[in-house]
Amino acid sequence: MKDKEAHIDYKEHQLVLYVEREDGTYGPMQTGSYISKNYIDDYWLKRENLEKEYRARVEKGEITPIEYYMVIEELSVSELAARVKLSSRAVKMHMIPKHFAKMSIEVLKRYADVFDVPIVSLLQAIIVSKNGLKISLKKTDNPLFVLLKIDIP
Amino acid sequence: MHVDSFNHTMAAHCESGTVTALLNHSGFPISEPMVFGISSGIFFGYFQTKQFPFPTFVVRNKPGSMRERTAKLLGVKYKTMKFKDPDAGMRELDRLLAENRPVACQTDFFYMDYLPNHVRVHINVHFVNVVGKEGDNYIISDCYSPELATLSAEALKKGRFAGGSFSPKGFLFYVESVPQEIDMAHAIRKGIKKAAFYMLKIPIPFLGIKGIRLFAKKVVDWPRRARNIEHLSHEIMKINIFLEDQGTGGGGFRFMYATFLREASEILKRPDLLEMSERIMGIGDRWREISLFAARIGKRRDLGEDRLRELGNKINSRADEEEVFFKDLLKLSKSL
Repeated sequence: MKDKEAHIDYKEHQLVLYVEREDGTYGPMQTGSYISKNYIDDYWLKRENLEKEYRARVEKGEITPIEYYMVIEELSVSELAARVKLSSRAVKMHMIPKHFAKMSIEVLKRYADVFDVPIVSLLQAIIVSKNGLKISLKKTDNPLFVLLKIDIP
Repeated sequence: MHVDSFNHTMAAHCESGTVTALLNHSGFPISEPMVFGISSGIFFGYFQTKQFPFPTFVVRNKPGSMRERTAKLLGVKYKTMKFKDPDAGMRELDRLLAENRPVACQTDFFYMDYLPNHVRVHINVHFVNVVGKEGDNYIISDCYSPELATLSAEALKKGRFAGGSFSPKGFLFYVESVPQEIDMAHAIRKGIKKAAFYMLKIPIPFLGIKGIRLFAKKVVDWPRRARNIEHLSHEIMKINIFLEDQGTGGGGFRFMYATFLREASEILKRPDLLEMSERIMGIGDRWREISLFAARIGKRRDLGEDRLRELGNKINSRADEEEVFFKDLLKLSKSL
């Protein structure tokens, strides 16, 4: 690939490509990501639609937040099971609402750690309706207690 | 505390970049393509297993090979460690940093929260160099970050001790010593021969050239495995990410391999390797055409059977081309 073809102006996502330079030598070149620059909006659109679809299914009681996060974070059942140190069968059970309700806080926390979300995020979703309002969950030293922070612009 | 004189630079790939940076820091000047090439990094594998929520492919050899092959072929001595107890793993890292050593750690990429959100996925074979600590934060030299990054101790611990496939178990390594005299020519010969052998001769139907052909065949079936058209579009567009963005140096590592062959040609004084370098650069260009094609049809949701068959045919053409290329490379490697 010629260096001119590789040049992408996108500071938000930089990477290194190996290119043929004008003098005919080959070497590394730091540039922007082609797909991030040109298709990031499409990625976020699909992500948003996926989150909406799966959240609606959680709301209806068809699935549990375990399945929601598993799909969003692109994990398979067996991979998730290995990460939370449970059998695949147990994870499949936790994807059924009536079994999810019986889960211990200790197991719930193991899932939250893998998904890298506060434990309360497995029991609620935060919807922001006012533009500019910033809501964040802040972890504390107590793993079962988080702070909900609302910044009003 | 910071490791003195550690030079952070971006690299195409996390493992070859991490190993290269450690070797350079230890006084052994070597390029990333050379580390990649002598490690026989170029490869292909198509996977459709329970570990992955959707079929996927890799364009490099087994994680960990760069360190193992540079140890074996160059005589570099690495100290490696794994830990059962995460706290012990973190304490050892602190101890090594206090000795002014840059330390390579294997992590789950997902927890590297200094990288853009959309690129972070759960994959346990990401390598970074840890080069300092400030309070509860570590200073990370990650080849995918333009600058040195800061990562909380909690995130690094999670990343180092994530479970699942290729679970890192706190794996870390550092350079103990680099030999005074290195037979680079020998390492290059071995690296080339093994790469060509792996691409052509492994008797497993989803690896090497056979893996590319399987990918070409199976991609037509992907709609059956996708939840809906948006999911299919996402997976098809990931072909671009796997070939270009996910630390390959572009064209599914083929551009980096071309750079290696060019360096090899100079060291071995073999013009025929220069010709091979130009050929694989061209093959990389045509892999990149596939990347761009996948991104375009994914964005347009133009994912009917005919279009996917067209994609499959393009991938098959790469298999044809690479089969001839690696046969020639294997033949050439016997005369090096």
